[in-house]
Amino acid sequence: MKYFHYILLFSCIIFPLGLSCQTTGSSNLSVNLPTIALVDIEPMGAINLNFSAPIQAGMPIIAPTVNNTKWLNYTSAVTANGTNRRITASINRTIPGIAIRLLTGPPSSTGAGVLGVSAGQLTLGTTPIVIVSGIRGAFTGNGANNGHQLNFSLTTTNYANLSAMTSTVVVVTYTILE
Amino acid sequence: MYCIILLSFGSIQANAQRNLTVVGSSWNVNPAPITEAGQNYAGTYESPSNQILLNAQVPLLLASGKVSVRFEANPTWHNALKLAIRRTGNGTTVCVLCAITGGLTYLPITTVDTELFRIQAVLALASYSNIPIQLSLSGVSVTIPAANYQSRVIFTIGPI
Repeated sequence: MKYFHYILLFSCIIFPLGLSCQTTGSSNLSVNLPTIALVDIEPMGAINLNFSAPIQAGMPIIAPTVNNTKWLNYTSAVTANGTNRRITASINRTIPGIAIRLLTGPPSSTGAGVLGVSAGQLTLGTTPIVIVSGIRGAFTGNGANNGHQLNFSLTTTNYANLSAMTSTVVVVTYTILE
Repeated sequence: MYCIILLSFGSIQANAQRNLTVVGSSWNVNPAPITEAGQNYAGTYESPSNQILLNAQVPLLLASGKVSVRFEANPTWHNALKLAIRRTGNGTTVCVLCAITGGLTYLPITTVDTELFRIQAVLALASYSNIPIQLSLSGVSVTIPAANYQSRVIFTIGPI
């Protein structure tokens, strides 16, 4: 009887080719954050401050009530080594015998960052004066009730210089700078 | 009579290692300029869903592999900027029974390798091409010093 013994020899030869393999790779990303210096007053529009005549002879004219409807908004972005920013205010004209006063309030709870410090109550003139200082990377939030509340008031400084006048426009200019 | 059948075969097999390549252009985040005083940046930005494409291979001999991710500053980064990553698809493969799992929801990227997804080889080499990857950047704010920030996202394939 013939039988066949099958001997199977398996020769498995593996030839590793040693091809190069890569186990890591990367991808880059970038974001550019520029310097920013923006300031405005909200809400838009003029305010009216009117003295009233007294009803009794011998009494002084009656100053208008304080107007606190305006808010100072700003956005500031500075470099790590950049200089602090400040905001100044000035008026385009003075009114004889009248002082225009501005009380800048502290920053509201909205916004974030290094917000500015108010200089308190000041008398506005044609030369810019600092009303807020120490601003760095910060934003106040946009619109009324955000940022620094502005309180405008009028007071007499010299009765002898007063003149009756109507609709005298005074422009207040705000500037943010280093 | 003995019939000796000698079967010898040589299988040419590439180096039995996992393999990973990364393609895709750099993601240059461009926050919309702030034009209104008082406002801040939107804060969070997303790349296209296929900003990065990965080609990953796991030989059958190794059965499985995981792809991990980390980032490093390249050269300047800010720790208030937060990166996240997710896989937005499976890519393409001819291996019907192979599997790719995990990484479909945003995962924060740190400076330490963290697993993003896994690949399982079943009955064949698991080779996935063009696995789409999306990035997210949050924390963009004017309260961060103005500068150009750059980082590198690093992918690594290895054993589970």
